[in-house]
Amino acid sequence: MKFNTDRKWLERRAEQEDRHFISVGGLISTLDPTCQAEIVNMPTVETTKTAFVRLLQLTRRERRLSSEKLAEIADVDLAELLKIEMDETFTPGLRTVHQLAVALNLPVKKMMVLAGLLQIKDPHLQQASVRFAARSEPVGSVSPEEHAALEEYVKFLNER
Amino acid sequence: MRETIQILDCHSGQAVAAEIFDEITLEHFIETQAIWRPVVLDAVRALAKSPNQTTLIPRHFHWDWTRKEAELKMLALKFFGLSCDGRLQGIMKVDTVVRSCRLPEQQGKPLVYIDYIETAPWNIKQLMEPLGKRQQYRGVGSRLFEAAVLQSEEEDFKGRLGLHSLPGAETFYIKECGMTPVGRDPHKQNLLWCEFTPEQARRYLAGD
Repeated sequence: MKFNTDRKWLERRAEQEDRHFISVGGLISTLDPTCQAEIVNMPTVETTKTAFVRLLQLTRRERRLSSEKLAEIADVDLAELLKIEMDETFTPGLRTVHQLAVALNLPVKKMMVLAGLLQIKDPHLQQASVRFAARSEPVGSVSPEEHAALEEYVKFLNER
Repeated sequence: MRETIQILDCHSGQAVAAEIFDEITLEHFIETQAIWRPVVLDAVRALAKSPNQTTLIPRHFHWDWTRKEAELKMLALKFFGLSCDGRLQGIMKVDTVVRSCRLPEQQGKPLVYIDYIETAPWNIKQLMEPLGKRQQYRGVGSRLFEAAVLQSEEEDFKGRLGLHSLPGAETFYIKECGMTPVGRDPHKQNLLWCEFTPEQARRYLAGD
């Protein structure tokens, strides 16, 4: 491909571009008002982080995997995995979340959302995440109640 | 394909080297969602405080990368990315099969169709201003648009290009780029179908 190398051409095009949105495919105003409102009022992601960590821990424990074994299966850095599990304010890398979701057979996109790496409009997600986090404990063996909460939450994530 | 081109750095006012490439991966899609979207949403919220401004906001931040993964393997589709300073600055998807020309003088002839084009939010003046920030790079969208025209030439479509313009971008495509407005498409949100003839494409590339 032979791109134009003239600086004046580039400056002229950039000036034209600055006056407009260079985009195709539609405007936010073509979405229904409810959808627009949801985007503008979308909740912050911090509240879903607890659910992300609990989901990871519970799923790992239910599969009877040590952190070390999970890091190995998912091909992620063990130190990062430990940091995820021990520090809820820590934001994991994209690849790490992707790899963990695939290794544990959890929905990748929803895991990205829970980890705070991706934002989608879903007013029910935050509510379900808080409910799930409240029903599970970070350590110890998986109780029948936790097992039920885990199953219900993963089903919810997969359905949405 | 990977070419070194130049874009403009707003802070220094200088032209800087950037790369335009077609080896787009899932990671690039994730980057647009994970890094671009929060910035876009902040800007949208700021813009939304003024009711009239919402009509200007593109809906492309709804673009869902999860459904695009399979498209990476489709031969009819081609994805371009533009990177600078180690970060993705713009992304574009073109289709070389599904659409054809609608202008009477070239009706039915093959063209390159721009299905999606987006620059990183920090390169869009209208998004940075409500956040009280300066845009970072200029000319990213123009370079991607240029790549689409060049792709049309490579496909032997002689620069023929088509797209559905946003209402706010119609002036840009018609007046600034020199495309012909063909008509509104009832099958595509009544957006305006714009098209390049080979001569118009040549003039765009040359800057005539």
